[in-house]
Amino acid sequence: MAKFPSEEWASEYVAKLNSNANYEDAAKRWEGSITLVVRKDAAFDKDAYIYLDLYHGKCRASKFSFAPEELPTPEYKYSGPYTNWRRLINKEIDPIQGILTGKFKLEGSMMTIMRFTRAAKEMVATASMVATEF
Amino acid sequence: MWFFRAPTIIFGEEALSYLASLPIRKAVIVTDRHLRETETPQKVRQALPEGSQSLVVGDIDDEPNLEQMTHHLDAIRTFEPDWFIGVGGGSSIDTAKILFFLYERPDLTVYDATPLVNLGLRKKSRLIAIPTTSGTGSECSWAAVLTETTAKRKHELASPEIIPDYAVLDPDMVISLPAEQTKNTAVDAITHAIEGYVSNWRNPFSDAFSEKGLELILGSLPGVLAEPTNRKLRANVHIGASMAGLSFSNSQIGLAHALGHALGARFKLPHGKTVGIFLPLVVEFNSPVCGDRYARLNALFPEAYRAESLAGSVRNLFRAMGQASTVSEAGVGRAEYFAGLEELVSSASESTGLATNPRDAGTTELRELLTRAYGGHG
Repeated sequence: MAKFPSEEWASEYVAKLNSNANYEDAAKRWEGSITLVVRKDAAFDKDAYIYLDLYHGKCRASKFSFAPEELPTPEYKYSGPYTNWRRLINKEIDPIQGILTGKFKLEGSMMTIMRFTRAAKEMVATASMVATEF
Repeated sequence: MWFFRAPTIIFGEEALSYLASLPIRKAVIVTDRHLRETETPQKVRQALPEGSQSLVVGDIDDEPNLEQMTHHLDAIRTFEPDWFIGVGGGSSIDTAKILFFLYERPDLTVYDATPLVNLGLRKKSRLIAIPTTSGTGSECSWAAVLTETTAKRKHELASPEIIPDYAVLDPDMVISLPAEQTKNTAVDAITHAIEGYVSNWRNPFSDAFSEKGLELILGSLPGVLAEPTNRKLRANVHIGASMAGLSFSNSQIGLAHALGHALGARFKLPHGKTVGIFLPLVVEFNSPVCGDRYARLNALFPEAYRAESLAGSVRNLFRAMGQASTVSEAGVGRAEYFAGLEELVSSASESTGLATNPRDAGTTELRELLTRAYGGHG
């Protein structure tokens, strides 16, 4: 079990993502890095960041940190409070509906993201494959 | 948490007369080339409040691209309207939505209209949709489709802020709709009702509008085709189509629309015709994960068309209506179709309909469905 969020969880997530054929298929034309931002809330006491360099269906590099300045500047940011991340990973929130209902915030080219909603769905499905301890 | 969003809907006989009660000072009336020469735009102008001014944008093509949609934007900005009125089928209403958006936010491009951002519209104007077809659902939806001519694909714009303020469903506006358009747009509406009912984002509101919308359409469409000037039956189909629009607008489209948009953009086929080709195939594809829901909809089909499965019932109905059941029947040549197959796969795979379709479809499944849709031996 990997604790979320942590370096160990990020590594396991990337390994699962890179072996997920559905994600590779859905994201084969995707080019762009994204940072998943876990905001502190009543259940988790500090912000955490998972940087993912995503390219043509694979994650080429990743980095976990509690300090954003230690990470490259991403083209996209998907951020939300810890409790909502827990619900997302447990498949209780749809990643796009999560933005539309204000549970998550997305920064970056919205037009591009809207062409890759299936890839977003597969990214969340992959997260739920990681044996996660909250 | 989720939402149910809808315009204020004015429906029934003389619904158009409601326009006179609105505080309209300057209206842009957006309509298409076919309607421009008819009495329809004049009817709308006459229904406006006394003393109001209007500017008619009347050269919208079927399946318009962005340039066609926006080349009157400078004249519109000079006119300074306080209302936009889309009069026509989906192309006219979608164009009205896009002109409304660009007039409100000249600092943005049309591609900024996504549901993920707050656009802050309605600072200068408001939006009315008056459909003259029964099927697109655009009068009730948060979507606008534009054709990207160069890329031969359709772009789906969406924002809750482009849902019209008012949808006017007056049966008088559809009473003379030609048979071919009546059929194609009804097929589109049936597809909306069915796809909205099984979408991953379905909810009790969209369920209710799908069921009632489908019931109204199926109960009255054969009668409309037999007796096109029957106002009561026309009104039922018109209202049913808007209800189907409310369903999918609040739960999203699925795979039949993803594939239909790809096919329609590449081969310039009417939207209703393309989604109708794919609907039975998609119902069969999705059945393993939502067969119980399809069974509920199947029970709504009139006995004359009802088969054991929903896909069979849909095929029976569409066949009776004379709709093309394959891409081949729609007139696309085999060599031309299969030469562009990978582009069709690619275009469909980037539709938002894939994320909300109840069964996951990757490029392998899309290719298979597109191949089967051609008919014959693929």
